[in-house]
Amino acid sequence: MTTTATATAVRAASGGSAMPGRRRSPLLTLAMLAFLIYFLLPLFWLLVASTKTTGDLFASFGLWFADDFALPGNVRNVFTAEDGVYGRWLLNTAFYSLVSAGGAALLAALGGYGFAKFGFRGNKLLFGVVLGAIMVPSTALAIPTYLIFAQVGLVNTPWAIILPSLVNPFGLYLMRIYAEGAVPDSLLEAARIDGAGEFRIFRQVVLRLLGPGFVTVLLFTLVATWNNYFLPLIMLNNPSLYPVTVGLANWAGQATVAGGSGDVIPLVVTGSLLSIIPLIAAFLLLQRYWQSGLAAGGVKQ
Amino acid sequence: MTMLRLRWPAVAAAATLFLAGCGGGGADVQQADKPPGAVSQADIDKAMQTPTELTFWTWVPDIQNEVALFEKKYPAINVNVVNAGQGEPQYTKLRTALRAGSGAPDVVQIEFQYIPTFTITDSLLDLRPYGAEALKDQFVDWTWSQVTGRNGEVWGIPQDTGPMGMLYRKDIFDKHGIQPPKTWDEFAAAARKLHAADPEVYITNLASNQNGAWMGLAWQAGSKPFQMTAADQIRVNANDAASKKLANYWGGLVQEGVVATDPDFTDQWYQALNQGKYATWLTAAWGPVFLSSNAEATSGKWRAAPLPQWTAGENNAGNWGGSTSAVIKTTKNPIAAAKFAEFLNTDPESTRMMAIEQFLFPPTKALLADESFVEQKPEFYGGQQVNEVFARISDTVSTDFGWPPFMDQTVSDWDETVGKSLADKTDVVAGLDQWQQRITSYAESQGFKVAQ
Repeated sequence: MTTTATATAVRAASGGSAMPGRRRSPLLTLAMLAFLIYFLLPLFWLLVASTKTTGDLFASFGLWFADDFALPGNVRNVFTAEDGVYGRWLLNTAFYSLVSAGGAALLAALGGYGFAKFGFRGNKLLFGVVLGAIMVPSTALAIPTYLIFAQVGLVNTPWAIILPSLVNPFGLYLMRIYAEGAVPDSLLEAARIDGAGEFRIFRQVVLRLLGPGFVTVLLFTLVATWNNYFLPLIMLNNPSLYPVTVGLANWAGQATVAGGSGDVIPLVVTGSLLSIIPLIAAFLLLQRYWQSGLAAGGVKQ
Repeated sequence: MTMLRLRWPAVAAAATLFLAGCGGGGADVQQADKPPGAVSQADIDKAMQTPTELTFWTWVPDIQNEVALFEKKYPAINVNVVNAGQGEPQYTKLRTALRAGSGAPDVVQIEFQYIPTFTITDSLLDLRPYGAEALKDQFVDWTWSQVTGRNGEVWGIPQDTGPMGMLYRKDIFDKHGIQPPKTWDEFAAAARKLHAADPEVYITNLASNQNGAWMGLAWQAGSKPFQMTAADQIRVNANDAASKKLANYWGGLVQEGVVATDPDFTDQWYQALNQGKYATWLTAAWGPVFLSSNAEATSGKWRAAPLPQWTAGENNAGNWGGSTSAVIKTTKNPIAAAKFAEFLNTDPESTRMMAIEQFLFPPTKALLADESFVEQKPEFYGGQQVNEVFARISDTVSTDFGWPPFMDQTVSDWDETVGKSLADKTDVVAGLDQWQQRITSYAESQGFKVAQ
């Protein structure tokens, strides 16, 4: 619903002088193609490299397949190495990311809606604090977070990854902007007159209207937690708790260590490929929400 | 890079605090000079029979096998092995845990060059009270000097080493009628001849991202870049005459274009090794096994020799890599932890296993003379007794090379000065001077008194 509405609005806004805008610039197209290749080339390399044996990896041309197609064997090795620890890492990552993303999106929706629709004292000041928090990169907070978590005994537990990921200042900011536009005041008033409690209004009315924004924050947090390396690196000591990023980095380290073996390298390459597949799937499945989410707040309705 | 930048303020703060704590300096140093009281054999026996949990951070693959030997001998003690990452990621975790005051292991794998970085923050336990001094004679002299502190402390037990030699492609040398160079002059001549004959081939690759190899070569050249003279005093001579000689030599060959400077341990570098782009690899004693599993395509074509020498007839080498087992000062079980570090690296069965099954190049005199180790004849090197070559090289590593108490900063500064000049083919001597300047000002900003 909102997707179509936004799209229509954009089309209407640019519709009057559509013709000049439609002319294709070959130069721009070429530039975009170059960018496309630039971004896809590493992925292609990863795909090709994970079909090779260690020997072929270093002896054959990097951007094309070798004679031996070793992908099935590599995948099998990835999942059987060290008693199948890779599968464990992947499940850990999925667990941390899904819980963090769901929780962060819900908290951001609650907070963003609150900031947008309730004029309480200190609203502006608190929102300013949130804006300030966006400026602090989360990596910079990792060590202070560790020091706090160490005191309450949360280090080396899944909470050490999930709790810090639940708070997403940018998500809160996005949700506030989105809620301002997407939730009409009149609808809230109507619901209140009908006798609905505030939490029921949020659950049954607001959350539905906030859908696209919700999915956007969900995806942002999902990607951020999926790719998080530094926080789990310092928080976790137990290999069975590692997410896939730290696990793969450990394997990569073993490949160059004294006495290490090159046989680990195909594991790292194939493991990397497998670890991004769920993210790609999430993007493709949730793409339409993602797009409309990014456009949110761009147009004042 | 982000990691480095973020980590440093933390370490800096720790180092500054430590120095501030020392204050007068003199008195503390005096006290440290006194030999520490030894722990009695009765106490040791008691500790080894008390049920104990130890945590051991290491990145050696399959080290559980050696740990099992220890647990078999001391059934009361249970060792929990954790792979907390290789090198830098592990040090990051270790520092964070040390600052938090919880979560640090009892025993930890630390590379030789990082020992001062952890002793300056007073994080390591002196192993002398636990009988470590008696182990000295079992180890090659230079490895023991690497773990020995300024006042004779023993900060760790050597686990493995990386004395440097030269692996070369016999087939490429033969094809162009080149004898394996014995001096750096011969090496330079061979570099020019080889590249002129085949522009696709370089005599070697001096990786522009590899501080470790550079330090090893500087060690061989007789440079003494870092020397702690007191708890808060350091001599920084990163651009001394020997290092300048080194920079001049390699800078010249790089600018001539007869030596490659590709980053190592990258896809491109592995490919180059397999395809014969480099005729030699100036590497450490762990290099031969590493190469044989990563350059299968070139099996049988490689041979090993000592590094070329600066003066004909001399016999000098440096070291690149290698680790120790150190005990963290906050351990609740210092006796068991110290004895574990000792057992792992001195027990005949444990050390043999590390050398023969995990291919760690041993620091013990016994193994370096052990026939089953030195007389191995790997096919990859045409049946040459490669271990024997490197065992002889290990004896030629000098004992007086020291490391700074802020190794990460030193390495990242090197990348941006000397490393950058190698990569950009600019003046390497100027890069070296910049490096010296950066280390000096960093050390001063941390409160050290710096001399040259």
